[in-house]
Amino acid sequence: MDQTGLGILVPVTNRPSNPRVRRAARVLALVPALLVTSATGVAFAEPPATWENTPPVSGLHVVLLLVMVPLALLALITLLVCLPSMSKGETYHPGQPWRGESEWFGGPRTGLEAVDSAVPPALTTSGPTRGGASGRW
Amino acid sequence: MAAGDAFTAAQRHEIDKAIRDAETLSRIEFSVFVGRSEGETRPFAERLHSTLVAPDRSVLVLVDPAARILEIVTGVTAHRVLDDAEAELAALTMQSAFAEGDLVGGITRGVQQLAEHGRRPAVLHE
Repeated sequence: MDQTGLGILVPVTNRPSNPRVRRAARVLALVPALLVTSATGVAFAEPPATWENTPPVSGLHVVLLLVMVPLALLALITLLVCLPSMSKGETYHPGQPWRGESEWFGGPRTGLEAVDSAVPPALTTSGPTRGGASGRW
Repeated sequence: MAAGDAFTAAQRHEIDKAIRDAETLSRIEFSVFVGRSEGETRPFAERLHSTLVAPDRSVLVLVDPAARILEIVTGVTAHRVLDDAEAELAALTMQSAFAEGDLVGGITRGVQQLAEHGRRPAVLHE
């Protein structure tokens, strides 16, 4: 046993002893599947004579059903998605300049005037400090 | 407080409610400032924070939509229950909402997340 511990890996990685046996086993495993699928004949079926003949469908009808209905659904879903933000009156759109006035929720009664008269917080290098996080978008 | 045209009455109410709920949940005071920051953003946010009634147990969230900058300042006491990694997570939530243009949703979800992280688990033994 060598000092690096790599020696322990040798008995774990088993090399294929006999590739011929493996190949034979693979073929043997496939044979039942092939047999079953090839043994069945092609299925033929005709509509029963009691079924009534379907009338021919016009092209306009097909277009109406397969094109117009999905388009109408598309329009409806788009409208439903856009409706909430339209009704909420979102004024902020990313990429456009912000025109709103500053607003402070839960701030002091005097608003931003208090900030100008505030003493800047003492910078302490030891002891408990403030924390937080920053981000951009 | 200047009533700007940044938010509708319903949106203002939504943010107020989010702040109230967060304060009830976490016992931390929350304050949200939305607007242009004067000068450097971080020092400005810290100045805003220090003018609050109880800065130590307060968390200030500054959102500058014009500069697209977000700052979260946690007071000394609030910082004990809400560390910087948790604040960073809330900041990420808010950033992704803001990037989609959802200012109000980002603020309410961010404040709620901060409150959930800052919520001290019930201590059974002391």
